[in-house]
Amino acid sequence: MSLSNETAPAAGRAWASKEEFIGCVKLTDWILLLILFLVLLGSFHIHYMLLAGDWDFWIDFKDRRMWPTVAPIVAMCFAAAAQSFFWQKFRLPFGATVACFALLVGEWINRYDNFWGWTFFPINLVFPSALIPMGFWLDVVLLLSGSWIVTAVLGGMGWGLLFYPSNWPVLAQFHQATEVDGVLLTLADLIGFNYVRTGTPEYIRMIERGTLRTFGKDVVPVAAFFSGFVSMLVYFLWWKVGGWFSTVKYLENDDV
Amino acid sequence: MSLTTEKAGVSAKESAGSIVNYRPAYLAMAALGTFYVGIRIYEQYFGWKAGLDSFAPEFQTYWLNIMWTELPLEFLAFCAIGGYLWKTRDRNIDAVTPREEMRRLITLIGWLLVYAFTVYWGASYFTEQDGTWHQTVIRDTDFTPSHILEFYLSYPIYIIAGWGAFMYGRTRIPQFANRISLAFLMFFAGPFMIFPNVGLNEWGHTFWFMEELFTAPLHWGFVFFGWFGLAMFGTVLQILGRVIELSKEFEKDVLAI
Repeated sequence: MSLSNETAPAAGRAWASKEEFIGCVKLTDWILLLILFLVLLGSFHIHYMLLAGDWDFWIDFKDRRMWPTVAPIVAMCFAAAAQSFFWQKFRLPFGATVACFALLVGEWINRYDNFWGWTFFPINLVFPSALIPMGFWLDVVLLLSGSWIVTAVLGGMGWGLLFYPSNWPVLAQFHQATEVDGVLLTLADLIGFNYVRTGTPEYIRMIERGTLRTFGKDVVPVAAFFSGFVSMLVYFLWWKVGGWFSTVKYLENDDV
Repeated sequence: MSLTTEKAGVSAKESAGSIVNYRPAYLAMAALGTFYVGIRIYEQYFGWKAGLDSFAPEFQTYWLNIMWTELPLEFLAFCAIGGYLWKTRDRNIDAVTPREEMRRLITLIGWLLVYAFTVYWGASYFTEQDGTWHQTVIRDTDFTPSHILEFYLSYPIYIIAGWGAFMYGRTRIPQFANRISLAFLMFFAGPFMIFPNVGLNEWGHTFWFMEELFTAPLHWGFVFFGWFGLAMFGTVLQILGRVIELSKEFEKDVLAI
């Protein structure tokens, strides 16, 4: 005797009514989007914090050479993968922006609740890098061009070039020069030296130094241009990675 | 002869009512969220009060006792969930009705929602939290307060949730039972491997702990396995594909939404 389908309202069919189906679709779409958002957040965040985290955590790591080079390149991976999925499978042009937004939600919660709330660093020291304008740019290029190749080339370069200007309105004040005990340094450095961390020693801190700092005015454009170049390459690769993780293949039970 | 399932618990009442029920997932998320807020409050107080010196008696009391309690409980939960789902599996899965299959697909989405929620807490919240703690407090043990709650609590919890989702699909949904979804396997197994990778991480940290970068290559194993979270793309596509197959009669209606 059947335990289920003899009393089902629509035997042999999945849905009892159109209303039930429509209601389920509307609700489940939002739930699936929430699942995608939360997993993107978690995966992107662990990727970003362990590949570019130190530059993103601390104001005294946000220099003109390493930070604008590393952060965009690392962030491009998940932006490209998310675009690959949302664009190829659903023609939705918001993959990069959603990925950046997800990352920033996770970062801001952490910087407030943990960096400030648990270990008492001021928010001025630990605010995350802005990425949303770059996400917009990448999505707009994909939407208008409809081509992932064009997006890799134009979008990738723009992604790298936009990073520093997008962050400059917040960052500029911390790059003001100051003198302490006869040493010239930035306000960002000064804040950092007042909050000693295990990443504080100068042989650990990876920031611009040496002659490039002396010839400082050209460092940012060069770093941004290089970052854009690598971001283009990373986009190509991670568009494919996103496609590969969208696989709907099955293995036979005997295969594993 | 059963047309659908020999699994106990699928009552006629369930089939006759709505098959859309995310309440268990909402309740699980509320319980887990409350639990995580609770332990966050605990670490706010006892991290500074008793978590700075692993040789101190209070460290044993307030931190190591948590670890020795949580690890066996997590192992038991992992075995219990997997065992229960396997023991109550559908032994006649090819005869499942479309309506029952749809109900199970929706239940699976509920499992995935809980999994995603726990992935957020583990991979985002507690992992970056670990960064600020170890930039602030020089560690004198691998079993620091942040590690006890990150590696040995939040990671096993998302593994258990992912294991539950994977086993639910394997034991109740034909497309995931008759064959193995490559995407679903990666979606579970990749983040799972982050936990064994703790072995590499902590072994590396035995060489130095006085100063550190969070971006040190030693940490990149976590990054690699974290990438496999993207396999949710394929998992979602497979679920949606089957939902569309089962809902062909309403194709025009859904396009009109």
